[in-house]
Amino acid sequence: MAKVLMIHPDKCTGCRNCELACSFEHESRFRPGASRVQAYTWEREGMSVPMMCQQCDDAACVKVCPTGAMHRSTTLANLVDWDERVCIRCKMCTVACPFGNARYDAASSSIFKCDTCQGAPECVTFCPNGALEFVDDEQQVRSRKKAYAAKFKEAFQEVS
Amino acid sequence: MFGWTGTTLRVDLTKGTITREATDLELAHDYLGARGMGGKIMIDEVAPDTDALSPANKLIFSPGPLTGTFAPSAGRFEVVTKAPLNNVIAGSNSGGAFGPELKYAGYDALIIEGKAAKPVYLWIKNDEVEIRDASAVWGHTTPDTTDLVRAETDEDAKVACIGPAGEHLSPIANIMNEMHRAAGRSGVGAVMGSKNLKAIAVFGTGAVTVADPDRFKAAVMKARKLIQAHPVGGTGLKAYGTDVLVNILNQTGALPTRNYQDGYFPTADKTGGESLAAKQLVRPKGCFSCIISCGRVTKVDNPAYAGYGEGPEYESAWAFGADCGIDDLDAITKANFLCNEHGIDTISLGSTIACAMELFELGVITAKDTDGVQLTFGNVPAMVEMTRKACTGEGFGAKLAQGSYRLAESYGHPELSMTCKKQETPAYDPRGVQGIGLNYATNNRGGDHVRGYTIAIEVLQNGAVMDPRVTEGKADLDITFQNLTGALDSAGACLFSTFGIGAGELAEMLSAVTGVEYSVDEFMKIGERIWNQERLWNLKQGYTTDDDALPKRLLTEPIKTGPAKGEVNHLDKMLPEYYQLRGWDEKGVPTKAKLKELSLA
Amino acid sequence: MTVKYFATIRTYTGESERRFDDAPATLRELLAALAARYGNLFRNAAFAGDALNPEIIILVNGRNVLYLRGLDTPLAQEDEVSIFPMVAGG
Ligand code: SF4
Ligand code: SF4
Repeated sequence: MAKVLMIHPDKCTGCRNCELACSFEHESRFRPGASRVQAYTWEREGMSVPMMCQQCDDAACVKVCPTGAMHRSTTLANLVDWDERVCIRCKMCTVACPFGNARYDAASSSIFKCDTCQGAPECVTFCPNGALEFVDDEQQVRSRKKAYAAKFKEAFQEVS
Repeated sequence: MFGWTGTTLRVDLTKGTITREATDLELAHDYLGARGMGGKIMIDEVAPDTDALSPANKLIFSPGPLTGTFAPSAGRFEVVTKAPLNNVIAGSNSGGAFGPELKYAGYDALIIEGKAAKPVYLWIKNDEVEIRDASAVWGHTTPDTTDLVRAETDEDAKVACIGPAGEHLSPIANIMNEMHRAAGRSGVGAVMGSKNLKAIAVFGTGAVTVADPDRFKAAVMKARKLIQAHPVGGTGLKAYGTDVLVNILNQTGALPTRNYQDGYFPTADKTGGESLAAKQLVRPKGCFSCIISCGRVTKVDNPAYAGYGEGPEYESAWAFGADCGIDDLDAITKANFLCNEHGIDTISLGSTIACAMELFELGVITAKDTDGVQLTFGNVPAMVEMTRKACTGEGFGAKLAQGSYRLAESYGHPELSMTCKKQETPAYDPRGVQGIGLNYATNNRGGDHVRGYTIAIEVLQNGAVMDPRVTEGKADLDITFQNLTGALDSAGACLFSTFGIGAGELAEMLSAVTGVEYSVDEFMKIGERIWNQERLWNLKQGYTTDDDALPKRLLTEPIKTGPAKGEVNHLDKMLPEYYQLRGWDEKGVPTKAKLKELSLA
Repeated sequence: MTVKYFATIRTYTGESERRFDDAPATLRELLAALAARYGNLFRNAAFAGDALNPEIIILVNGRNVLYLRGLDTPLAQEDEVSIFPMVAGG
């Protein structure tokens, strides 16, 4: 079954272990600037939100890519993959992604975009708070729906 | 080179010069970084008789070799300088993300010397470093300063700054980073203020490299598992924060109450972590690379004390709570917010207000001294008002901001200052817990708990247990904790990681990161070296065995109520053994042989 | 006798303290009675098999029972028993 990455900002503490794990996986060193996931913290509010590629079905980055370097993976479902050999570094994908989730890194001359570590995302392994999850694509809808249902249940329980 | 970046940044604010030098890696092997390296730089570069608030003092910001990696809960840095409070080598440890950012910008340490002619801030973006005018931010609180400096530099910059207390040179002023994390103790904020340095903003895009990535990852996975499986590291601290300690110390009879007049506070539960979680907690927060998340994002709705911020930690909740005879958590949290916003140490200020309350109740000071306030124990609005005044330095607040020793001494009653080496002792009563008393007395920065946290064994049953009421074995216990913490601080790790891992795991991670093999023995030896180095500095400051002491009250006035009723501390039974086990002579001076063994002579 | 609960133990008991008119003779008896009252979460926190769970801290009148007689610590009507999970801070 296909799996998708889900973010739960309500559980995120802003520790950035995800960024460290991501950069370590890709470069064997710690460079948050190389991480494909970023956890942003608003210090006044004490809120943190992890951000990463959504592996869109109708992906803007794939559409604008003139060489086919950015493409839907044929081996892994739910993955928009980037082929560095085909890429000409025109950076169109970084402009097209509405979330800013595709980035150009001058230091390594690469496009940085989540590749789900080819189906085994390290950020999920290292997130200590369950704020990142890699779940079955159906499961994620079901669990979210059920979570909402539970909220309704609570509300109705209180009035009845 | 791995772990270390290899570069140290030096900024001379008098001359306006910025230089980069190679980090001395030989020294780094022996002192790691952070507290150890910072202390070594102090000893090598600053004359012991330097006035702490003069341009000749240096202010060092130093992360450790683990900082910036994903070693669990090891993203810390240390602020090292000569302490305005008590002349020791101040080493104030803080978390957040400032330390890692300094590493990513390329630096093992930032050394600040001299004094700017007018208020400035420092902007470090990798190797572009600028000293900039700070006249527009001078006078602002720490959150406002952070926002203003970010607006002029980079919205993702990490900012460490002082508040009004540091500008006013309060010897208990701290340095705040990312708005809520504090390098809290010994007055490091006043040194920054004396240099006219309002803030440091850092943005780094570089990397921290690792000698053996596979070995490191394996070591980290193991350490994470141990911490996560531990009842405290894994769940307890995240659920309740450090303030969960209020109840266990109170039920043990060792919660100092009303300026240590007692060791038990009947309504303490109202100020504990359980109450905080139920009433004020918005969400837990973690420092960089932390898997524990003890931080508290908190909110007070009560209009009298409304506010939003972080904390309080246990020590702060105690200082403004039981120590002032107060059980109103809203007021305590408000006082904590005020301290963070104005950049002043909560432990020292809370304890100083408690001291003033006792002076007031004894009639030594009156409402004439306190700007008309009835400063009695348990007076909630008075406590918050005095906190505010100390923060801004107005009226009687200017005296409070000097810390309890200077305050009590100015009225002829230094014995009412609950301090060791002029620094306020924290939230564990040495009459109910013997070993922590020995730690307070011998601690190189004076009244301090983190550098010799025997509470873990004496009260918290963490791994091993020792009866808090006995003195036997406590000298050895203290020394082990003091040495362990010296090395752990210098590696960049958080003390709370010890709720799960120990020297073995830390040494393994350190070896894998740096490529320098550290055994457990060598790791502990580094801690011992650092302890002795700090001791040597203190001896040069004129501290003697007479200063390895506790406030007289703790030795002669038994606890009045509660489970430890009737107890006093028996420091005299522990201190000689401590000196002996340390390899010091009977005057507390390290022997030649010991110094040689530690490569300090 | 008063028994006080703290931190996560409180979430197992749903109350922060309880008074008992007849003190059980020993800590073992008290914990068994509490386990019967509060259920398995409490039982598992208190016991490891028949022994005291090393991850629970129990004070009788402020003294850790490890320095008294453990589960055999005798209890009296005027005693105050405090039950904590392992906690920490600093
Ligand atoms: S990079 Fe942006 S557009 Fe492309 S798949 Fe990811 S989120 Fe969608
Ligand atoms: S590791 Fe998890 S909790 Fe930490 S910043 Fe990333 S998403 Fe948030």
